[in-house]
Amino acid sequence: MKFLAQDKLQAFLGHLAGESRVVAPVKGDDGVVLFRPWSPGTEVELDVLLPKQSAKEFVLRQSETYLRYGYAMEGEAAAQVDDSHEAKVVLDDPAERKAAQDTAVTAHAALVVEPVNDAPAQVIFGLRPCDARGFVQMDNVFGGYGGFYFDPYYNAKREATTLVAVTCRDPRSTCFCTSVQGGPASTEGADVLFTQVEGGFAVEALTDKGETLLASAEFVDAAQAQVLYAETVKETAEARVDAAFDLEGIQEHLRANIEDPGWHDLAMRCISCGTCTYVCPNCYCFNITDEMVEGRGERIRTWDNCFNPSYTLETSGHNPRDTKSNRFRNRFSHKFWYYPEKYDSLLCSGCGRCITHCPTRIDIREVLSVMGSERTAVPATTGEEA
Amino acid sequence: MSDRQAKIRELAAAALAEDRVDYFIGWKQGINPSEAIPAFVRSADEVDQLIWNPLSHHNLTTFLKRKMPDPPNARIGVCVKGCDSRTLVALLQEELVDKERIYVVGVPCDGVIDRRRVEKEFADEVVDISFSGDVVTATTRCGDSKEFAKGDMTFDHCNTCRYPNPVYADDMAADPVPEPEDRTPMWGSIEEFEALSPAEKDAKLADAFETCIRCFACIHACPVCVCWDQCVNRCRRPALVGQRVDTKENLMFQMVHMFHVAGRCPSCGACDRACPVEIPLYLLHRKMNKELYDMLGFEPGVSLEEKPAFQTFKLDDPFGEH
Repeated sequence: MKFLAQDKLQAFLGHLAGESRVVAPVKGDDGVVLFRPWSPGTEVELDVLLPKQSAKEFVLRQSETYLRYGYAMEGEAAAQVDDSHEAKVVLDDPAERKAAQDTAVTAHAALVVEPVNDAPAQVIFGLRPCDARGFVQMDNVFGGYGGFYFDPYYNAKREATTLVAVTCRDPRSTCFCTSVQGGPASTEGADVLFTQVEGGFAVEALTDKGETLLASAEFVDAAQAQVLYAETVKETAEARVDAAFDLEGIQEHLRANIEDPGWHDLAMRCISCGTCTYVCPNCYCFNITDEMVEGRGERIRTWDNCFNPSYTLETSGHNPRDTKSNRFRNRFSHKFWYYPEKYDSLLCSGCGRCITHCPTRIDIREVLSVMGSERTAVPATTGEEA
Repeated sequence: MSDRQAKIRELAAAALAEDRVDYFIGWKQGINPSEAIPAFVRSADEVDQLIWNPLSHHNLTTFLKRKMPDPPNARIGVCVKGCDSRTLVALLQEELVDKERIYVVGVPCDGVIDRRRVEKEFADEVVDISFSGDVVTATTRCGDSKEFAKGDMTFDHCNTCRYPNPVYADDMAADPVPEPEDRTPMWGSIEEFEALSPAEKDAKLADAFETCIRCFACIHACPVCVCWDQCVNRCRRPALVGQRVDTKENLMFQMVHMFHVAGRCPSCGACDRACPVEIPLYLLHRKMNKELYDMLGFEPGVSLEEKPAFQTFKLDDPFGEH
């Protein structure tokens, strides 16, 4: 185990920033802590346990460009495809624009398609073990688990990313990592684990990627006392996380309770927004759209969520999850029933952001305690599904 | 304060016992005493969970709008504060809520605590907020405790509120609280914003909307955003609003919301309080309210008989010049 003095942290991050992008929890002028690109001199905020959002955004981008496309006239190079962030309106005068488009059509302009997959090297520093575990659970989906689809966009970024986790000192009352097979010092998914001790951090490399990071000159070997201190921090934190619900038989119970009228009661105060899914380190659903202006555009992937009323809207116009309670049920069933069935792991790492950021404080622990256990209620008669 | 709580419980119990409503919506304690959350009470013997205190910020009118009631034809009892009642009146003006299906309990309000402002006074988690007169005491999980003057911790829009008493209710939970004599609206920081140069305004808006994650909590929490599940912001035919999450598109999305609820929105701040990344959304709506007031002398949701600004047309309406 290594030791990094508190006053060496900036120097260490500065080294990293010389070679790759560094992302860290930073407090904004409005007092809101978010993972933001870090630059030398910026203070890293570790006192506030969890940034408002998980670090998911830096690997599963909220807007991911798949490709850029446009029409090029004969003889024009593919470079005509706009490589700025947004497609530009080339001509200001509508009449000219129309004429240009008409010409393009009559001349059978060639469609130019340029694939995009940017994945610069980056280090995410200061994420908590729950956020690091979130990536492992998403890896199953995007990483070709069991011969399923391998996603080149997610994986390129995942490969280029090093995760430096920090042990939680003071878990919140909404933390429940220990109920979902994790813990405040879990090493799963992380490349390096920092633990705050007197005067700095006790540091352990967990992967080869992590080992490379610790080659930096700021690190010294940890003293025995520091190693012991780190152990105490971990144990104390672990003891502070309350048991939230029982995983035993949860898949079977959720399956059996699918038509239970209790879902309606639990969903009453849900406003069907997507906050819980967007702040979640594990939720990965997305949508694909073409954003086109004047014949040039980009195909992009953006986050979507199962509370979105049009999430399951079918081409026929039918929507199998047209009501709030149907959509509500999906999130919990996905995390604790269908995903585990497919990947033999849970789709939740217990960070509790969905509880603290829900506009009406819907509590996943309560939902799972009720619907993830045996119910004696009669089958639904007031079904919206009827 | 506790009188109002007792009266809310009494009125709710009566409505439920007499089967005048299928369920009653009020506030109850959240995970801990540092917050209040919406409560849905189905029988008279469950009314003891209902509370009233300065943490009761939710605008419960949201749960009356299209496709929120479950079942859709439910008869609903609901508590409203002054600002909440204005959103309800706006919905009633446009017949977006069936008056026959609701029972409204009005609660005079002394201002609501901005819990996030309290939260920022500590690094640790706030687990208890209590009140004694005008003193607010907040306590964290590790036992740190601080006292604040209530006036320093109430929402901006509470500090400039001119309708602390509900403008519409079937029954009241208490006698009205004193109202300001001068009802001329106060626009607070909007005037500062208006004094900025165009470039400074752009920079300020870009700064505010950069962190938006397009989770739609704002429009779903908004009581007067009634096409919430059929929103143009998500629609791809036509694709009027881009799906890319960046500052410009985020602002476009919020502008669409602002224009769409103009004349209905009294800037109650429900959008703002729902935002997980704390974007000061109500400022956009307050700016729109200022425009409406300056141009037409119109205030949303203050009288049932009035028609919303964009539902009427008079030949002598001003057009752009004022």
